[in-house]
Amino acid sequence: MTAAFLVAALFVLLFLRVPIAISLGLSAVLTMLLFAEQSLVALAQRFFSALQVYPLLAIPFFILAGALMTTGGVAKRMIAFANALVGHFRGGLAMAALLACALFAAVSGSSPATVVAVGSIMIGGMARSGYSREFAAGLICNAGTLGILIPPSIVMVVYGAVTETSIGDLFIAGVVPGLMLTAMLMVAVALLARRLGLPRQPRADWRTVLRTGRDAIWGLLLIVIILGGIYSGVFTPTEAAAVSAAYAFFIAVFVYRDVGFKEIPKVIAEAAKVTAMLMFIIGNAYLFAFVLTTEQVPQMMSAWITDLGLPPWAFLIVLNLLLLAAGSFMEATSVVLIFAPIMFPIAVALGIDPVHLGIIMTVNMEIGMITPPVGLNLFVTSGISQLPVTKVIRAAMPWLVVLLAALVIVTYVPWVSLVLPRALG
Amino acid sequence: MSSPLGQRLLKAADRLEEAFMIVALTFMTVLTVVQVVLRYVFQTGFVWSLEATTYTFAWFVLIGMSYGVRTEAHITVDLVTSRLGPRGARVFAWVALACALAYCALMIYGSSLFVDRLLALGTNARDLPLPRWVLTGVMPIAFALLALRLIQAARPVLFPGRKAADAQ
Repeated sequence: MTAAFLVAALFVLLFLRVPIAISLGLSAVLTMLLFAEQSLVALAQRFFSALQVYPLLAIPFFILAGALMTTGGVAKRMIAFANALVGHFRGGLAMAALLACALFAAVSGSSPATVVAVGSIMIGGMARSGYSREFAAGLICNAGTLGILIPPSIVMVVYGAVTETSIGDLFIAGVVPGLMLTAMLMVAVALLARRLGLPRQPRADWRTVLRTGRDAIWGLLLIVIILGGIYSGVFTPTEAAAVSAAYAFFIAVFVYRDVGFKEIPKVIAEAAKVTAMLMFIIGNAYLFAFVLTTEQVPQMMSAWITDLGLPPWAFLIVLNLLLLAAGSFMEATSVVLIFAPIMFPIAVALGIDPVHLGIIMTVNMEIGMITPPVGLNLFVTSGISQLPVTKVIRAAMPWLVVLLAALVIVTYVPWVSLVLPRALG
Repeated sequence: MSSPLGQRLLKAADRLEEAFMIVALTFMTVLTVVQVVLRYVFQTGFVWSLEATTYTFAWFVLIGMSYGVRTEAHITVDLVTSRLGPRGARVFAWVALACALAYCALMIYGSSLFVDRLLALGTNARDLPLPRWVLTGVMPIAFALLALRLIQAARPVLFPGRKAADAQ
């Protein structure tokens, strides 16, 4: 009853166009006032302590690093490198855009940021080279979701913080699924390219490949620093994120020199804006999850699903359907915050690896980024392509098939997620 | 608030808010990196660093709530309003604003009680030489600022006629 009120209140508020963060918080506060014994003091305390969770500090740092790398010319050089590598194939520019998304995803923890970094250069570029704007927007909107699957990843940070799973393991576990999804999208582009007769570009000679590769290496080194640093125990994921931001600042200002000191405050302000928005949602999602927990909802759901005696494969279907539904109505981190505590104990009881569960949730959240009404990538793509959101939605939908296929593989082939973390012990 | 002085004060507040956000984010980043460097290069570190970072983070997010309103960062679900006429949209905007203000009021109340309780306890933070009520005291203020920003942002939708008058 209480839980029903909580969820109903949330949906009414969302429907009224109250910001997502406030909808989450207000439905939690109202539910507590009406049904629960907990006082408002407990909620205020909970809110404040949610903003002090140390692993979550990785979020502003990764966002800052991403912002510095977008304006600092890292994205531009990755695109040039990707283009030199695959531009000469049929549909080469589309493949280059996709590859650039994958490369940028390896230094960025956010999907919308990846779309902005690659899309703001490539959508126009593709349109000038004979692709339709819709095709370019649809592809990059989807390929940008790699941002949270290929490490680093904000969604994995949140999952790790809530379930106390190693964030380093989650990052490493995202590598193979990320490469797999990149390859799958690449095949889809190649097939389409033949059918649509997409243009190719002149083949870049090996000197160009080498030169662009050397230019891009500064950015790509970052992923080595992040994963190497976390895995060798040199620093925590939060520290790795801060080091990334400092490193990104260093290459932007001193190596590439694409931004001057004067522009840095503007970049930081932009990162601050995005972080504040995300963290406001996360703080309130903590309140929402807190009320669920005091109402014993996770325990009841666990008991209920365990009583159903579902085999693991059936549970995974239920899990994916729930996450896909939630992901289209909610922002990714808040879905993870609310659902991870509910699903985690059940999954563990069924023998599903916590890291595997984290990757399943991440892929679901990728799909959530491109499904309306709340698909951040859709809005961001619409903003940079100057296409209306409805057109972006239509352009993005066909690619969903590839993402769903990847979801099925990631869900039912745990090996894909677990091979690397296991190999590395 | 259309007097020149009021305008100027608002502008100053805007700039102060943005400056705080930039400084806080930079401070957290630099402090965390310095901590790593100190640990590996000099085998030392500040005890207070971790707590200073997490409290800065909390302040950053709390002030960021209203900053997000001004910079239109907060996301909403748009299911129906795009299909409503201007009248319907205005009704929705009023109801949404009322809900958001109710949230602010409840959070101001709850966090004031929370801060008050810490004031009565009088304990200091673990590593920082500051009383906890000072460190958390920003919370009710931040929710009050959020309420002000929400009203400010909603004005053009709520009173479409006044927009022109304000601009002059």
